Parts: sequence; C-alpha cells; structure tokens
Amino acid sequence: MPDIAGDGPEEQPLFSERPDWTDVTPVPQYEGYNPIAPIFYTPQYYFRGIVKTNEKSERVLELTEAIIRLNPAHYSAWQYRYHTLLAIKAPLDAELKLMDSLAVQFLKTYQVWHHRRLILTAIYSPPPSNASGLNDPTATTSSSAKSKPSPESQAAARTELAFITRVLMVDAKNYHTWSYRQWLLAFFDDVHLWEGELGFVERLLEEDVRNNSAWHHRFFVVFGRGQLQGEEDRVAVLKRELSYTKDQIALAPNNASAWNYLRGILERTGTSFSNLRSFVEPYTKTHEDRLGDEEILDLENPAPSAEAELPCVAALEFLADIYEKDAVSKSVEIWKRLANELDTMRKKYWEYRIKEALKDVPVQS
Amino acid sequence: MSDNPSPILRPTPTDGFPSLTSLQQIATENTLKNRHPSAALPTDTKPPEAVLQRNQHIQFLVRNLIQGFPARYTSQDASQPWLIFWTLQGFSVLGVGLDEKNKKRAVETLLGLQHPEGGFCGGPGQAPHLLPTYAATCALANAGQPGEGGGWDAIDREKMYDFFMSLKQPDGSFLVTYDGEVDVRGIYCLLAVATLLNLLTPELIAGTPEFLATCQTYEGGFGNASFPGWALRDDVAPGEPAIDPTSPRPPLGEAHGGYSFCALASWVLLLPYINSYPTHSPSLPKPSINIHSLLRWLAHLQGEAIELGGFKGRTNKLVDGCYSWWVGGCVGIIEGLLAGGGVGVADESPENEAAGEQHDDGWDDVDDSLYNRKALQEYILYAGQHPAGGLVDKPPKPADAYHTLYDLSGLSAAQHRVIPNSKREKELLACWTEDEVKDPVEGLRRDTFAYALSWLEEEGASKYVGGAQNRVNATHPLFNLTVTHAENMMAHFYKRDVPSRYRTKLSK
Repeated sequence: MPDIAGDGPEEQPLFSERPDWTDVTPVPQYEGYNPIAPIFYTPQYYFRGIVKTNEKSERVLELTEAIIRLNPAHYSAWQYRYHTLLAIKAPLDAELKLMDSLAVQFLKTYQVWHHRRLILTAIYSPPPSNASGLNDPTATTSSSAKSKPSPESQAAARTELAFITRVLMVDAKNYHTWSYRQWLLAFFDDVHLWEGELGFVERLLEEDVRNNSAWHHRFFVVFGRGQLQGEEDRVAVLKRELSYTKDQIALAPNNASAWNYLRGILERTGTSFSNLRSFVEPYTKTHEDRLGDEEILDLENPAPSAEAELPCVAALEFLADIYEKDAVSKSVEIWKRLANELDTMRKKYWEYRIKEALKDVPVQS
Repeated sequence: MSDNPSPILRPTPTDGFPSLTSLQQIATENTLKNRHPSAALPTDTKPPEAVLQRNQHIQFLVRNLIQGFPARYTSQDASQPWLIFWTLQGFSVLGVGLDEKNKKRAVETLLGLQHPEGGFCGGPGQAPHLLPTYAATCALANAGQPGEGGGWDAIDREKMYDFFMSLKQPDGSFLVTYDGEVDVRGIYCLLAVATLLNLLTPELIAGTPEFLATCQTYEGGFGNASFPGWALRDDVAPGEPAIDPTSPRPPLGEAHGGYSFCALASWVLLLPYINSYPTHSPSLPKPSINIHSLLRWLAHLQGEAIELGGFKGRTNKLVDGCYSWWVGGCVGIIEGLLAGGGVGVADESPENEAAGEQHDDGWDDVDDSLYNRKALQEYILYAGQHPAGGLVDKPPKPADAYHTLYDLSGLSAAQHRVIPNSKREKELLACWTEDEVKDPVEGLRRDTFAYALSWLEEEGASKYVGGAQNRVNATHPLFNLTVTHAENMMAHFYKRDVPSRYRTKLSK
C-alpha cells in the first residue's frame, strides 16, 4: 500500500484550523451506525461538505488536490475536480503540468491517467456541455468521439508522448501508461505521431528485449490501425516485421514475448507457420545435434548463438504447430517430449493438445 | 510427498543475454526456490510443510474486521466494500461464518454505501462506481438475507439499473463511474451484479459481447479496453448499430491475467444472450472469441518449478499469488466450457467429501485439468502464506486482505472442479412455465439463471496437496462466491423455488 504522500497537507494547517474554510460544514465519515471494518485516518470531512453544497471554486481545487495526495485512488475527488476545472474554466494546460508532478508518485493509479485523458479530450475536442467528451451516448452527434483535433494538437500530443516516455523510464512496463499511450495515438490519429513510434519501441526493446509491453505496443503501432500512411505495402511490412522478430529471437531465443509476437503477426496476416520452418528448426535441436548441420550464413534465417540454451521449448511448440496440419504424428511426438521432459509444468496442456489432435485423425484401417 | 523424484529446480534460461526482465526473474527465483520442499536446507531447519494455517488466516481477517484497518489502508478509502468483501468471502472459503451481530453490522455498513441514485460507492459520500457495486453485492450475498434487516431487499434495483444504463457506451462498453474510464473489470462487475440481482435485459447488454471480443490481443489474453473512435458512426438513427463492424477497434493494453478473467467470466455470463443471436444474420454477426489462443496464453503463464508453479499476470513478468485466482480460475472456466455437462450432482456432506476425493498419489490419474493444479496449490501453501497470518503476492511481501482472498480463492479453484452440469441446468429451466418465457426478456433471464447456477462442484474430482485438512470450500468460478450463496441470492431475486442440489443424491 502506498504511504501517505510526503509533501501535502500534513505540513500545513488542517482545514479545520483555517479561517477561509469556516463557512463549510464538515460531514463525518460514518453517520449513525456502528460500522464494520472502519478505516481510521483523518477524515475528508470538508470534501463531503463541499459536495453537499455543490461548490465549484478555486479552493475546491486546493481541497481535491490535498485528498488526491493522501489517496490517489479517491475517484470521487478526481471526478469532482474535473467538473470544477470545467466549471470555473481553469487553465487546463496548467492542470496537465500539475499532473506531471503527481504522475511519477502515483504511477500505478488508474485515476491519474484517466484524468489526463479527460483533460486532453476537453482541450482538444471540447465536449457538449453535459458530457464527459468520451463517447457520451446523450450527444446528438458523435462529434466528441470523431472530431479531428485542432492543428495545435499535434504539438500537445508530442509533449504528452514525451511525458509518457519519461514515465516509462521509471517503470518500463506500467500498464496504465502504455494503455494511455495507445489511446493517445488512436485519439489524435496523426500520421506524424504514429511514425515516431516504431523507433520508440525499438529503443525500448534494445534496452530489454523481454519487455512484453513494448512488443504489444509494436503490434498496436504496426497492425492496430488497419493501414497507415507509408505502410500501405502490407507485404513489405510483414517482411520487415518477420525479419525484426527473427533477429530478436536469435539474440535470446527463450523469450516468450518474441515468439508470441511472431505467432501473432503470422495469424494476423493469415500467413502459414510453415513458411518459418527453416528459421525455426535450428532452435529445436541441441548444440550437439546442430554440429552436423552445414554452417551457412543465412541473413534471412539468423541462427542461435553459442550461448543460446537449446533446444528452445517455444521453437519446438512452433514446429509442432507446423506439423499439426499434415504430419500430426510428428506433432504428437514433440508434445510428448514437452510433456514428459522439456516443459513438464505444462504437461496437462500438452496432453490436451495430443488428445485434441488425435480426435481429428481418421482411424487407420 | 509424492513418489516422484524431486524436480531439478532449473532457472529460467537467459541465453547469455541478460536484460532487466531476466535479472528480476532471477532475483525472484532465488527467493522462491528456498521455499520448495525439495530445496537443500541446513540440517537444523525444518522442511516446509504443506499445511494451510487456517486459524492464522482467520485471525488475520478477524483483526481487520473488528479492530478496523490500520491507517496505511488510507489508499483503500475508496474501496471500503472491497475490504468487506475480501474479508467475508475469505471467511466463506475458509469455511467459517460471521456471527449474527457482525452480519448485521456488515449489512448496515454496506447499505450505508448505497448511493441514493443507484449503485454502491467506495466510501460514504462518494460517487457510485461499478467495482464497489460488485463488492457490496457479493458481500451482501455473504452476510445478508431476504426480509426485514437482511439487506437484500434494501438494494434499490430500479435505481441500480438506471445507474448501469447511464454508464452504457455506444461501443457496448460501460464507464466505471460518471466520467470514469472504460475497462473490462467494470463490465464484469456490472454483469455479475446484473446476473445476481436479476437485472439483465437485451437493452442493457447490447453490443457488450462484441466489445469484449475486441479486447482479445494477439497473445490470446485480454487487455483492459479497446479504442472505439474509428468505428463509431456519425449520425446514427435510433435502432441502428452505432458501430461499423468493419472498422478496427484495437485493444488498449497488453494481455493481462486480471482483465482476462473479467473478460472471460463476462463472456460466459453472456453466453445465453450470445446463443440467442439469429444463426445467419449479416447485420448482426454472432461475436466470437478465440478460446484456444486464450488457453495457450494462460497455460504459458504458469511459472516453472523453481517458482513453485505460481502464475504470472503477463508474459515475462513475475509470479504473484493473486493470479492463482485470476489466471488459475480463468483456466478453470475454460475447463468448464470444454467439459460441458458433468456427471451427477455434487454432495457437500463431509463424509462423502472424504470418500470421493483423490489422494496425493492420484495426481496422475486421468483428469481433465489443463494446468498444473498440484503446483499451484504448492505455490500457495509453501510461498503464499505469511508466517504471521494472511496470504501474500510472494515472500517476503506483507499480507493484505486482497491477496488473502485471491490466494485462497485460487487454492479453491486448484482443489475443486466446478463445471456446468446439464442435468442441473434442465432442472432450473423447468422453474419457469412456457407462458412466462413468451416474453423474450424473461426468456433471457431464465436461460441466464439456469446456466449460471448449473456450474457445480464435480463429484470426486477434488484434490488436496497436503491432504483433506487443507480443504477449502469450492467457489463459483463466475462470481467468487460459494455456489450456495450465489444460488440463494439468485433464487430470491428471480423469485424461484430452486430444487435442492442434494435431493437427487438422497433419493438414490
């Protein structure tokens, strides 16, 4: 559980001691009953008082900030803050800057990221007066969902992407951060923003080739959008992706992220796994078994390095999937080896694959 | 232990190519491997025992309930119903019940969190939110009952339905609260509550199966949401679909165990609705998800022997006890889908439990598990239990209420098989007359009721690492309530007299 935030209202006078808050009636946490599992901490009496009177003012921003610092998951305070910002027409870019300083502390909280999304949406596609700006079903048109952001928005989106990049330096796999980056790219849908992403992903994968969040982002950037400007040649795109992925597998073959990506792009493009047979086969053997193989430098099919731990389970799985179509007995042989020797934790799963594959095999006469 | 030789605790291969991920993985393996029963320990150290420290965990939960949570739980102030649910459901799994006085206090506290405009809030005076709504409803299933002071009839179902509809989005998703985010956890919470409280209508769930399908990633698991903007149509006339099915709606966020559980459980709760789609309708194509790629991804999330077979939440991340439920439970749901109807009706009386169960050496007998249940139980027993009571993510982390529940629920899911029973489903369908289901909404409710409550513990299929002393109660894989609690609540809100699950057994 996160500790109470370092700098915040602890070092300032309590709201109960401030003359500018005497007009608000504080509302206690538990009214009139003996609660089970009560939480003992300084109650946010004043927030409840403000909510009761529906006040929207500058001091509400101060109050909600104090609450958020104590409890960044206090979704009602965030919600109320958002409405207050809109109601008093506070400068939203200043709000983003304030959020920058909170984000690193509260990285793992949904609300920090969602608030940014709301602010960005409010700046760049102002909602109808009664809506949140996000696919509001009461909107008479879906203008809030589909409107193209204004020209200044590209610069703002770049700033936001740069901010997200800084946060990812601290925690390269933060789930909300990545999900937010994907939303941002899709929302602005600006070709100039998309085109920087492949380079960004490659930098992260260079730092850590096992960063699954980065691989997922790569898939989003390359395949999430249907067709991007400059990416119309899907054959060339697939060739590039296969080449890149094979190179990463060659660096560290026991990397589930790279194999999942490989399988994913083949499935997405309807490409047969058997096309990758020559690449995969060397990874399914031990180093000793490979000694007999000819040493051909094949740039299209990078071979495992001397340090690779072989045979690679994921490569064997891949080969079994290739065989499943027309040589199922070979698949079964591999699955048995995985179940009993090489990947025994997943014995039940491999036995299931055997059972399912044999179901479809016609009985030999 | 078993008669198998001790497994070699092989570290995850790094191919001579370290990265931050592999370094963190090694650090975790170095901590966990010492908990393995085959680990070489100094001669004066007792080997770890596979014993569930039931009383210690009960005391851990009781302390929180009665004394209150320590100040460091401030961060959970917007999650008060969750603290109550985790605690009460923890008790149910451990087989203890609250006394009447504390049940009343629980009910009062929970009702104090109901919002006047419908739904439940994270704390008094806060806004209603789908997640605390689920937690409060399930806590009420545990502690409440029908009638005066029981709490169930004080739930304002009409307002709750209006609250749900106010959050509905054109792409079939729901915001979690006003101006909140969209994510599949919220959808699961809404569907579980709507199923328990008899609030389902086609109007409520239109487009939701399609949305869920868009959250499946190339890895096979599910992310937290998908992007609707490119597919939303302009100027949609009433009754027309708001979404262009040919436009991409890419998933946001990588495949994740928690979201995958929520997506699959949601999907299964929606199966009666999905199965009602017309067979050939180009304007309303039947949505589908890829169970096989989901299963593959889930199976690969189980850690190696050196990690004691716990589950990770994402590819290339670390094992964590709570994924025992989210991921282990998710595989359990798939086992249920693939198994279809079971055999016979589960009997919960203790003597029959002992007679029907397998012992440790029965693990290799033919069974339909799709993951290593024995290893998952070992993770929870050897690594998940905190010496001072409560359960954890992984040692040496402290225990907390969330991990206590989900480690225990995961243990339950690994011990028991709870799968659909077609005989039971037929019995439950028969609780409605033909006349009643002439109304299609009532037909949907009947089908949902019968299907959801057809998931029963499979007789004789339970297995306990460490023996029957470690037995915990079975949980309903779609709700994380006991089958009894789910059944009692639903029977009340659907107004049906449900035939006893034991009747068939007794009449033999």
